[in-house]
Amino acid sequence: MQRRNFVKLAAGAAAVQGFPAIGFAQQGDAFRIGALTPITGAGSPYGPGMQQAIRLAVDEINAAGGAGGRKLELFTEDSQTKPDAAVLAAKKLIEVNKVQAVLGTWASGVSLAVLPLTEAAGIIEMNVSGAPTISTLDTKDLVWRFQATNDRFGAAFAEICAKRGFKRPATMAFNNASGLGNVEGFTRVWTQRGGKVAAHVTYEPNRPSYRSELQKILAAKPDVIVMGSYLPDTTIILREWFQSGAENKWIIPGWAANPDLVKALGAEVCEGIISVDTVSNEKSASFAHFDAAYTKATGKPASTNVYAAMAYDMVVSLGLAMELAGPGASVAQVNAKLRDVANPPGTAVFTFAEGKALLAKKGKVNYEGASGKLDFDKYGDVTPDFGVYVIEKGQLVRRDVVSI
Amino acid sequence: MTWIDLANLLVNGLMEGLVVALPALAMTLVMGVNRFPQAATGDFMTLGAYAAVGCQVLLAMPLWAAALAGAVATAAVSALSYQLIFRKLAGRPMVASMLAAIGLGFLLRSLIAFFAGHDQRTFDMPLVRAWNWGGLRVLPTDLVIAGIALACLLAVFVLLYRTSFGRQLRAVADSADLARASGIRARGLMLALWLLVGAIAAIGGVLLGMKAVVMPEMGWEFLIPAFAAMVLGGIGSPVGAVLGALLLCVAQELSVPLFGPSYKLVLSFAVLALVLLLRPAGIMGRIQLVR
Repeated sequence: MQRRNFVKLAAGAAAVQGFPAIGFAQQGDAFRIGALTPITGAGSPYGPGMQQAIRLAVDEINAAGGAGGRKLELFTEDSQTKPDAAVLAAKKLIEVNKVQAVLGTWASGVSLAVLPLTEAAGIIEMNVSGAPTISTLDTKDLVWRFQATNDRFGAAFAEICAKRGFKRPATMAFNNASGLGNVEGFTRVWTQRGGKVAAHVTYEPNRPSYRSELQKILAAKPDVIVMGSYLPDTTIILREWFQSGAENKWIIPGWAANPDLVKALGAEVCEGIISVDTVSNEKSASFAHFDAAYTKATGKPASTNVYAAMAYDMVVSLGLAMELAGPGASVAQVNAKLRDVANPPGTAVFTFAEGKALLAKKGKVNYEGASGKLDFDKYGDVTPDFGVYVIEKGQLVRRDVVSI
Repeated sequence: MTWIDLANLLVNGLMEGLVVALPALAMTLVMGVNRFPQAATGDFMTLGAYAAVGCQVLLAMPLWAAALAGAVATAAVSALSYQLIFRKLAGRPMVASMLAAIGLGFLLRSLIAFFAGHDQRTFDMPLVRAWNWGGLRVLPTDLVIAGIALACLLAVFVLLYRTSFGRQLRAVADSADLARASGIRARGLMLALWLLVGAIAAIGGVLLGMKAVVMPEMGWEFLIPAFAAMVLGGIGSPVGAVLGALLLCVAQELSVPLFGPSYKLVLSFAVLALVLLLRPAGIMGRIQLVR
């Protein structure tokens, strides 16, 4: 490279590096939170709504006079549903914006990639990912999960299988922490109840065809196939299954068996597929409160995006913990109060303002979230309820709600 | 495990192999003539598939017309990329062209994702139940895919071995200097070659999209199998690339009952390593091209 070119390039690079710093000022006493949601990529149907929900909750808390004497300040980034992009964004949030909590990571791969960074920085991480390993990797108890683990999804699958009278389930899992987590959770609960799994296949991503895998499964003549899968591979597998003429039923997680699947394959192929997803705390006052605000902000009801309610609950529970920890509390002190404000015993409260008023009177608060009753176990995981949807004539119809 | 099961696995492997054969052939042609691994081949597949989906969705074309339109569009992009990028890098070391190809791939992928989004797309085609011959199941869709792939391969081989274009191309591949001395004009020939490899890759992309789903990363993910098939068949050998693709995919599928599907890729690369140990230049390769 010629020297002149090098100088030009270096000057350009320096200028680009400089941009984000211009006009940036640290706010001294605000509590800074970073929203790292999937605006693009596989999570893009959910990420924008999650970001909106986080903003709603931040505005609500600030309108109520802040939490623990501090206002919340929000920084947003796009995880692109990709671990590498998410790591860059998290680094920026932590090092440049100096956030004290990272909220809203969606895919397990993204959460697992971001965890080491938040742990090293000693800040709070809140996610909606399913991989069971997230529970055990979190050694400092700084990680909070607002979605059911894949293991719990698996347990719900076993419950549904038993309720619907299936006898010979087979399992297929996408080869990653999430896919295997679903299927292993299912197998554990199903065999505990004395059932047997007729066949199991773990398959690789990005294959042009899954016929050989299906052949192995169908040879065991299952009456239902339980999946730990994503949308693209589910599309390919179901297309080949339909063409092969087999007659079994399917139980598939909601992020794979969704309206996009019906759009890709048509109503005939999808008829009778059982799709399982967590449901929000729809009968609660907190959900009604959130639904009104969310519908006003986005024009869509909150039931269209289960993750939005989870993201909303992240900020509200964080705000209540800050309120309980008191003015000037450190991140660790706020973190230590999260179970105190979300778990029983205590008076059930449904909004931040209610909780703040009760805490002012030295009451014990138990926040009942819009996404679920929000009781954290020792790993910082929650157990929401599961909705059982059946695809009928191309529509997902909810037939049942299952608790585990 | 019966013979019928094995036959089914064999059919699955052959079907996949025919789809892999097209990008492998496109890569090996460029490797033989321009002497660099065309790492954007996978993204040319993606481009072809998206162009075809676009034609089907926006212009309501039938699938065959959409596929042709996708091939034409990708061929044009491919020739343009040669004219603007790879021609200028011709005298440089191989790494320069390869890195440029990787960069071009990134650019195409990002542009596609930017305009079409990350959501999966599918071709609008009827789903037909499999034909069952005493347990041997063949999907009619697969037969169509295999038929198109075979027709494409046949057309390319006729072009390579029965026309003046093919003769000139092979002459350039053997020795560019000698070809120039005999009065072969490289420029037009190269443009024709890049039109051809663009079209082959695009058809491969459409076939892959028909079998699987159309996503921005589909072609990029497919690059490694195609590359492996090219190396296995012998770098620069068109027949070798097709044989390599078939051999790798059949080996993968037949390994399923032995090792389970998780180890498919491992097995296919074990086959690759084994063949290269016995025949370092690949099945059909000549040693001087490897150097």
